Amino acid sequence: MLRILKDYLFVVFVIASAAAAIIPLFHILFSVFYNGIPVLAKYGMEFLTDTLPPPNKAGGGIFPAIYGSLTMILLSSLLGIPLAVFAGVFIAEYPNNPLSRAARVVLMIMLEFPTILVGLFVMAIVVIPMGTFSAIAGAMALTIVMLPYVATYTEQAIRSVPRHYKEAGYALGLKKFRVVFSITLKMAKKGFMTGLLIGVAKVSGETAPLIFTAGNVWRSTGALNEPAGAIPLWIYYLVQQPYANYHEIAWGAAVVLLTIFLAIFLPGRLMVRS
Amino acid sequence: MDKFKIFLIPFISVVFGILVLMLAVFAINSIPIFQREGLAIYTENVWIASETPEEERYGILAAIYGTLYTSLIAVLIVLPISIGFSIFVVDFVPERLKEAFIIPTDIMAGMPTILFGIWGIFLLAPFLSGIADFLYNTCSFIPLFSYYNPTGFSYLTAGVLLAIMVLPFASSLIREAYRAIPVVYREAAYSLGLTRFEVAKILLGYIKPAILAATLLAFGRAVGETVAVSLVIGNAFNINPSLFAPGYTISSLIANQFGNAFVYEYMPSALFSAGLALFAIGLVVNIVGLLVLRRWTYA
Amino acid sequence: MSAIKIENLRLRYGELEVLKRIDLEIPENVCYAIMGPSGCGKSTLLKVLNRLVEMNHNVKISGDVKLFGNSIFRMDLTRLRREVGMVFQIPNPFPHMSIYDNVAYAVKCNGIAKKKNEVDEIVEWALKKAAVFDDVKERLKTKASQLSGGQMQRLCIARALALKPRVLLMDEPTANLDPISAGKIEELIMELKKEYTVVIVTHSPGQAARVSDFVAFLYMGNVIEFGKTEEVFENPKNELTEKYVTGRIG
Repeated sequence: MLRILKDYLFVVFVIASAAAAIIPLFHILFSVFYNGIPVLAKYGMEFLTDTLPPPNKAGGGIFPAIYGSLTMILLSSLLGIPLAVFAGVFIAEYPNNPLSRAARVVLMIMLEFPTILVGLFVMAIVVIPMGTFSAIAGAMALTIVMLPYVATYTEQAIRSVPRHYKEAGYALGLKKFRVVFSITLKMAKKGFMTGLLIGVAKVSGETAPLIFTAGNVWRSTGALNEPAGAIPLWIYYLVQQPYANYHEIAWGAAVVLLTIFLAIFLPGRLMVRS
Repeated sequence: MDKFKIFLIPFISVVFGILVLMLAVFAINSIPIFQREGLAIYTENVWIASETPEEERYGILAAIYGTLYTSLIAVLIVLPISIGFSIFVVDFVPERLKEAFIIPTDIMAGMPTILFGIWGIFLLAPFLSGIADFLYNTCSFIPLFSYYNPTGFSYLTAGVLLAIMVLPFASSLIREAYRAIPVVYREAAYSLGLTRFEVAKILLGYIKPAILAATLLAFGRAVGETVAVSLVIGNAFNINPSLFAPGYTISSLIANQFGNAFVYEYMPSALFSAGLALFAIGLVVNIVGLLVLRRWTYA
Repeated sequence: MSAIKIENLRLRYGELEVLKRIDLEIPENVCYAIMGPSGCGKSTLLKVLNRLVEMNHNVKISGDVKLFGNSIFRMDLTRLRREVGMVFQIPNPFPHMSIYDNVAYAVKCNGIAKKKNEVDEIVEWALKKAAVFDDVKERLKTKASQLSGGQMQRLCIARALALKPRVLLMDEPTANLDPISAGKIEELIMELKKEYTVVIVTHSPGQAARVSDFVAFLYMGNVIEFGKTEEVFENPKNELTEKYVTGRIG
């Protein structure tokens, strides 16, 4: 009967959709490992400690990129996490304040920002006055990208703490500041840590914000007010080069990036459901 | 007002400050090109860079077209797949295994987009170029397939890549809405002797606003994506209905052209105005999507 | 032949045994009430009769249930659910669909009518049978979410009746309604039982006494006592039954 056939086709469609949704992910993960790990094997540990080789020459590494990424992640975390946490605390503790309501909307808008525009913005206000690309500019761009994630996770984490714990704190005569930081945040630690991890994982992989802020270098002095490389940036530029060894290095960098990302993201994600 | 609040207010103000400053920066930097060309910057497809400022002329219509076209392709692919996938996870998968399907999509949602890019440029583009060749050779009379492009860098490749990238987001929205449908409606539908397909039709009708919102928000995400798209779209000033033609999106235009923009007088301003347009499109689509989501209740 | 014959029915959710051993016979065209305190398995038993329990994958059933002589476990599921309609505790018309579509959708899917005028006829007939047509005839195309609780429940009855079932299962149909609406539904049941076999689950002994011809008292997954309503209420054979109908346990 036509009716049974339609039902059967529906089931086929549902299963096919699931396959179409899952297979690309596994293919991408697989390809990165499949193409990248042999590169690491071929270049050895020097891959992480050497600098970029000339075109079509053997050996080399991505150290400047790793250094740049780590510096900028660290810097943006130092800037961004306190900023986001305090903003999140404000919204959670004073939810009816018009500032909070507006801020929630603003944060939601910021979550959806095209990140290239964040980079353009920081370029206009930092790079142009400074006259040069820099790690600082890159870190500032990453801070803006990280901000909405960490702020909203912090807010949700605080709101999820049952009220009577906070009330107990006040009843003991503690000031609001103490209550929030000694009691509430400690209880919300899991949600809060998740937000941190996910925010940091996200910025570790961002490319677009860095294009016009960090600028990219193949060799760096490490100074913060000079252009910096980053692993995603290197991949972006290397794949556009015509040289086979640069493509190789790009795959190697990709597998390094993926590993770093999974190492930060997975614990955060698995904490959510446990 | 207690001291704690006073202490915190500067931080919350920074949040507003950033948004306001961003808008201001984009607006101010776009003024030169608006003064020079008016709205022609958005309505023409032209890109003449020159050392002599009088000869410069810019029009980003091709980029606007490309942004809308590739995001449309992405959404058309994502919509049925995310619905099917959501039904699969909620109705077909036993409780203990559901997480096993949800975690991979969450990974995809957060993964560095450059990884999609490298996969796209080295693996997806060649694969799709084979399909493109076949379709071109057989049915090039259909405008959709009428462009000969051996490189694989095209609207289609960008659209497919975008689809893969926004799918996790769309399907998590739809999946949660589908999961949250009160059990009584499922029971009622099955008690009427309906097949799984017929029951699904009713339940999907129930969450139609969520599906609409997910579509809009996915479109908004696709519009803003930069690095992955710029690696596979071919970066050409085209306005072409064919899926296989190369083109530009606003974000890839900015990424590509800004490197040498400062050599010219008006190019930076043109690119800022492109950013403004991108911001506006993204904002409108996202706000409409969020509004649809917010106002969805049944009595 | 009885409408429904339940033989040695046992049901488990995982390790928990919810129905311990049920043997019951339900005659045709009566109102048969299944009463008992909350949580003793009444709804579960009802949902076995149209195999809705099977929506939960953890369920294990043994024994048999015969519908007019045929085992429901060997019947085609959609056919079973056409013959056995159900009305739920929380009135659940599909809120995003119109009143008309709520009734018409399953009619069209099940192939009972295809052409518009045939479907229209059935919709009107079902709404009249459920005593709600006059309330809604001016607004058939408006959303079902606009109705009151009592109207919604009668719409659900119409929705079930439109498929022309022989049995109507009602799971505490008035539990969430105001007394006036509840009264209207009880009146409706008294009408419907002349043409349909109505099996009603209720946690109110008063309701069972008012509407049913036969009653079974279910307690902790066991049938404690069953029989004609007047006999069970006036001369309960079991002490537990007596305590329940006099309101000392509930």
